[in-house]
Amino acid sequence: MVGFVVRRVAALVAVLLAVTGLAFGAMNVLGDPLFNVVGFIASVDCDAVAAGEVDDISGQTAGGRGDCEVIAEARREHHLDRALPIRYGYWLGDIVRGDLGTSFKNEMPVREVIGEKLPKSVLLMVVAQVIAVGLAVPWAVAAAYRAHRPFDRASTVGTFGLVAIPSFALGVILFYLFVVRWQIFSSRYDDTDLWSRLRSMVLPGLTLGLPAAAVYMRLLRTDLLTTLQEDFVLMARAKGMSDQWVMFRHVLRPSLFSLVTVFGLSTAGMIGGSLVVEQIFSIPGLGRALVEAVIRDDFPIVLGGVVVVATGFVVVNFAVDLLYTLIDPRVRADG
Amino acid sequence: MADMPAPGERTPDQRDSHLHVQDLGSEVSVRGSYEALLGGQVFDDSKGSRLGVFFWLAVGWMGLVVVAAVTAPWLPLADPDQTGFGGRLDAPSGDAWFGTDGNGRDVFSRTVWGARISLVVGFVAIAMGMVFGGALGIIAGYFRGVVDRLISFVMFAMLAFPGLVLALLFIATLGSSLTIVSVTLGLLAIAPVGRLARAATLLYAEREFVQASRLLGASHGRIIVRELLPNVLIPMSGLALLGMALTVVAEGGLAFLGLSVSDGFSWGKLIVTGAAPRTLREGPWVAMFPIGAMFLTVLALNYAGDRLRWFMDVRELAFER
Repeated sequence: MVGFVVRRVAALVAVLLAVTGLAFGAMNVLGDPLFNVVGFIASVDCDAVAAGEVDDISGQTAGGRGDCEVIAEARREHHLDRALPIRYGYWLGDIVRGDLGTSFKNEMPVREVIGEKLPKSVLLMVVAQVIAVGLAVPWAVAAAYRAHRPFDRASTVGTFGLVAIPSFALGVILFYLFVVRWQIFSSRYDDTDLWSRLRSMVLPGLTLGLPAAAVYMRLLRTDLLTTLQEDFVLMARAKGMSDQWVMFRHVLRPSLFSLVTVFGLSTAGMIGGSLVVEQIFSIPGLGRALVEAVIRDDFPIVLGGVVVVATGFVVVNFAVDLLYTLIDPRVRADG
Repeated sequence: MADMPAPGERTPDQRDSHLHVQDLGSEVSVRGSYEALLGGQVFDDSKGSRLGVFFWLAVGWMGLVVVAAVTAPWLPLADPDQTGFGGRLDAPSGDAWFGTDGNGRDVFSRTVWGARISLVVGFVAIAMGMVFGGALGIIAGYFRGVVDRLISFVMFAMLAFPGLVLALLFIATLGSSLTIVSVTLGLLAIAPVGRLARAATLLYAEREFVQASRLLGASHGRIIVRELLPNVLIPMSGLALLGMALTVVAEGGLAFLGLSVSDGFSWGKLIVTGAAPRTLREGPWVAMFPIGAMFLTVLALNYAGDRLRWFMDVRELAFER
């Protein structure tokens, strides 16, 4: 068990390094970090200025320093004169010490920005997953209980349709019905108290949760049908236990594997989906901040966001692996 | 192929157990997000080995969309950019089947034209995923060892990276031309396709016909192209349809972030313009018809891909060794 955990943690760290390295490299190679820190004066040719051949653009900046001093300071502060891997090393060192840097645009510490935005995104995920699991489990049990009957067949068609609706399309349809047409929900994100926050999360939660519920339902139904053929179910029935008792106490638990696995994966999918959904329902969450930061080339926020998102994804999958051992003791032996 | 059971030999119950407990970890990881989205076998039609009427309906719809997209310039359609075709936000009628948008443009014509970019993005992206992912997967599965571990790790890291964020990163910095958008989405398709190709290659690499070829003195290249590739392509073709559906959707998602193809318009862009609260209130058809077109296309691609995979019996390929 200890070896298993150690191996998993090592893999986790390796993946995080690869993911952040990729993001760091992409942002630095594709964009121009100096330009993002100092703005248009980045194009000043400082060697020529030093040699007295040309004047710099502004002559004097607000602080009474020449453009080249500003540039030199920015280079020093952000280690821009060093090679890319070394810069990545510096950045990584800061991260490990808990310093995610400050935004290029408004000087806000990235930690504060994330601290403000992340809870909203997490709440959205939680609401969506609660909706998904809360719908999927009873639905799958009902369908598996009378497999291949009309209700089961209708569910199959329904889930197939739900999976095929793009999340943004579902979002637009829900927005049209509940906000524009019936005016049950407001189009604004209401942040006054927990109740209104939850209320604002219902539609986005449904948008992310309904397709996930369809996926969960399919998997769980399939596994329930497999478990229902086991001898111990026959045994339980032979003892005269009620159908409900057998379904929920004997069949459900050993059938939860696929659901648990896909739960991890779908959380990752939801992170991508939430970028778009937060946009549609104007939730000021991490996804929206990330989108804005990418468009404005605000590297520290993008990287901070990517670190949080990737860590979340990897940790969820790690938790899923551990959860296996809780559901099924047999897995421990393989560890 | 000899020990593959014919599809008709399986009973519905066996198919129900297709996602069995033991193969779950690998099942899901092999097909990655594709499988997560679909959740495995969907229809249990017990008619046997035939593809079924719905499969051909799906193919028919896809054919219709492709033909309409290709021939759009010659079809008797209104000019999609002609702003005075009808009044502002006219309801659907005999003249404008899907109504008109906020600028009086014909939504039907725009939906047909929008299919062009959506389909091109989907096709280019998945073709890229097939070529590069397929090549990497086969190389990893055939040579094993260090090469395999390296490629597998890179793919695992790529799967761990939130795809839309990567797309965002690339498109925001490189611009949103049709090429960049297609290539970026193609990059995202490499890892899932690669993992499937690797799993399929592992399955065939030690089979007798490959060993026979090797004993006859065939080079690695020849074995890969002549012996492995034809077998690996079968499961990949089903995945290609599913992947194309995902890419068409991903392009729509990018449109909502303001990052879709800047030259021209796609279904995603049409939906975004129709989704503005005011347009939605006064003319819901502007968003709903493109949504319908996209939904039917994704449904058709999903169903056909799923059905094809079932028909070719690639279930055993999910076992990762």
